[in-house]
Amino acid sequence: MIALPPEAWEALALSLRVSLVATLVSLPLAIWVAHLLARGRFRGKGLLDALVHLPLILPPVVTGYALLLVFSRSGPLGGLLEPLGLGVAFRWTGAALAAGIMAFPLMVRAIRLAIETVDPKLEEAAITLGKSPWQVWMGITLPLAAPGLLAGVTLGFAKAFGEFGATITFVASIPGETRTLPSAIYAFLQVPGAEPALRGLVLIAVIVAVAAVLLSNWVAPRIAARIAGR
Amino acid sequence: MMVRSFPFSVSRRAVLVGGLAAVATPLLARGGLTIMAAASLKPALDEIAANWEAPVAISYGGSGTIARQAAAGAPADIVILAATDWMDWLVAQGAVEAPSVRAVAGNRLVLAGPLDARPLALNASDIAARLGANGRFAMGDPMSVPAGRYGQQALETLGLWSSLGSRVILAENVRAALAYIVRGDVELGLVYRSDTRGTGAAIVADIPAESHAPITYPAALLPGATDGAAVFLAQIATATDIFARHGFGQ
Repeated sequence: MIALPPEAWEALALSLRVSLVATLVSLPLAIWVAHLLARGRFRGKGLLDALVHLPLILPPVVTGYALLLVFSRSGPLGGLLEPLGLGVAFRWTGAALAAGIMAFPLMVRAIRLAIETVDPKLEEAAITLGKSPWQVWMGITLPLAAPGLLAGVTLGFAKAFGEFGATITFVASIPGETRTLPSAIYAFLQVPGAEPALRGLVLIAVIVAVAAVLLSNWVAPRIAARIAGR
Repeated sequence: MMVRSFPFSVSRRAVLVGGLAAVATPLLARGGLTIMAAASLKPALDEIAANWEAPVAISYGGSGTIARQAAAGAPADIVILAATDWMDWLVAQGAVEAPSVRAVAGNRLVLAGPLDARPLALNASDIAARLGANGRFAMGDPMSVPAGRYGQQALETLGLWSSLGSRVILAENVRAALAYIVRGDVELGLVYRSDTRGTGAAIVADIPAESHAPITYPAALLPGATDGAAVFLAQIATATDIFARHGFGQ
């Protein structure tokens, strides 16, 4: 038996909003950091690399707790943002922040690898032909790295969609506000006899995960084909 | 003994992911007992276990998590929950020795604030004044946390539930709500009286016991429990002084 209570759709809508916002907002930053790590030569590169990987290595509850310390009312940033009405603790924006931070290392890793596979000689050739670094990046590097970039986006979205530990620690589990699909599944797990709803929620999670991968697999070869000039 | 030393919030997750394996390990200790217990019981149960003649390994977690693990055949001797509905569910599943089910402790709900919080009258206007313009109110999620269920019931009986509205932060367990209170992330919250002992939270008002269903902790033996487990269960049920010292009891 499978049931789909209203809470399931509420949680799905919230999870999609949270993970889309998390992925899209962190994408430009992820591309920039990936580019720095792939092409940059500067002091502290190893340190930046380690910092980027921190959310991937730390237990998610630690990330959630750190976010709570910084962004709760009593925290340094929360103390500034809350009076302005811009606070994120216990709000869906906080869930998106937590999901974005957790997804960030995976996005950077995939995008960095993609940029590293682009032959620097192509970029140098374009520069000798009088193109600006920005034109080279938009015209050469980005298109050639596009399939890997897409992989990073898919991976980041999947991670953001499934994020649980940091989210529930940072923003609790408020229905319609911060109770994402994983939090809702956890909540239903705590209710005796709620198995039908539980199965419904799990089914939704599986469908979204499979759909994301299928979509990514459908788009990637089309991008590759466009780069190759059809 | 590693199961006992998990920090609370970590143990909830750990129990979910690898709980069965973690619980199984202490069983190897000769003559020892393994208990799965609701997290709120920790201070009192640790003391009772320390006085027992044989080693006792206790895996703490949310009642729902524990009940599901017990039903899945977790290798433990005794299960102690914070909610009767989960024990009823275990009995219906045939996962516990039904005749052994008994209440071992009770608890009360309190309205709590940070350590410097002053006492408060239980009415909507005083609570609104304390919360101020941006203040928030923490409690366990009524859907999934027993303390939250009792809490919503009490707030409804007292006519306070509707006025709290969007101010309420629903935590995944009552200790998380307590942590929000202690750190000052929220002005007020609903927790168990036993939660406020030695944790940096101040009781600002007692919630009348008649405003909600009685809070009891039912315990039961799991199939295959040793004879020693039955004796220890009786020991827990009669340790009223220890429970009282930690804030339990009606």
